[in-house]
Amino acid sequence: MAASAEELQDADEAERADGAGPATSAGSDDRALVARTLAGDAPAFAALVRRYQERVFRFVLRLCGTRDEALDLTQETFMKAHQALPGWRPEAQFRTWLFSIAHNATLDVLRRRQLVVFVPLAEDSPDGPLARLPDPGAPPDERCGDRQRIALLDRALRELPAEQREILWLRELEDMSYGEIAATLGIAEGTVKSRLARARVAALAGYRRHTGEDR
Amino acid sequence: MSHPAAAPHAPDLESLSAWLDGELPAAEEFALAAHLAACPACAARLNELHALATDLRALPQESLGVDLAEIVASRLAARAPRPAAGAPAAMDAMSDISRALAALRKFFPASRPAARWWPLGAGAGAAASLALGVALGSALLAGDADPTPRLAPLAVFDALPPGSLCHGPDACYVKETDK
Repeated sequence: MAASAEELQDADEAERADGAGPATSAGSDDRALVARTLAGDAPAFAALVRRYQERVFRFVLRLCGTRDEALDLTQETFMKAHQALPGWRPEAQFRTWLFSIAHNATLDVLRRRQLVVFVPLAEDSPDGPLARLPDPGAPPDERCGDRQRIALLDRALRELPAEQREILWLRELEDMSYGEIAATLGIAEGTVKSRLARARVAALAGYRRHTGEDR
Repeated sequence: MSHPAAAPHAPDLESLSAWLDGELPAAEEFALAAHLAACPACAARLNELHALATDLRALPQESLGVDLAEIVASRLAARAPRPAAGAPAAMDAMSDISRALAALRKFFPASRPAARWWPLGAGAGAAASLALGVALGSALLAGDADPTPRLAPLAVFDALPPGSLCHGPDACYVKETDK
């Protein structure tokens, strides 16, 4: 069902009535731009593209790994978004909706490349990843700002399965809540909680492996 | 959350992770906060998770380097629906029909009541013929027809030459026999 301009306006008014702060003002702006796009205002969609192109690109790049492919996928994401825009519901956040399109498009490409690694679900087993959390090492303030250590973390992140990379990215870089991540990835909030914990443990384990701290 | 403070235990990493994100229900959050105050192992692991989050935010960020808005806009403009190609031709055909009817009215003036309806019938027939012609012409020019040229069968590779009844040299040529 298409989202009419009136529905978009109602959603904005409801948001204002809830006392939504600056965090949701971007959502209101998005809704206004979507309403203008649906009314045939092409520059409004260009503004939406400019608002999100860098963030979508970085998310896709973190998943697919190659710049050229990430550029193509980012472009396709916006083309698909424009095509699907009449079906967008104002209850949904534009950002999560857009990222879900990027997520699906990227996963399609990864499946074709057969690079998606599915991790086992038995994360609670004694030998599972949650049980292999390394012992705490140096305090965090010694690690922050160290370029070499950041590079090692970057390397460890690249070695994670795509589903762990993307959930870490959405949480830490996009600052999404569990509900927003669940909507973006099409999974339950409980799955977000467990997958995120597994991803953090795996990232720490990979990081330690590269620094040699687990030897 | 039930973590005995004295006994060694495996930290509930899902809860620690959710606590870091502020996603635990209030009751669980209070219980875990109390536990963290008494359990150095869990506190240290929470510090690790916190450090990881900080480091992830410090990762180098690649830049797109181009403005996709222009590219997307041009692609969308190219995709925008164009007026149907057959519409102008149909309008021209209708004009032709109108002109033909006007010409017929000149030859058959409306003063004769008996003949008043005859030109209309002739005009309708002419219009139907023209419409049919336009429709057939549009169908042919619409590009639905398969443009791939069909290759004639290469009869030269057949077992028998075209039109021949020979099944082999023995059937067509008289053998010279030694008598």
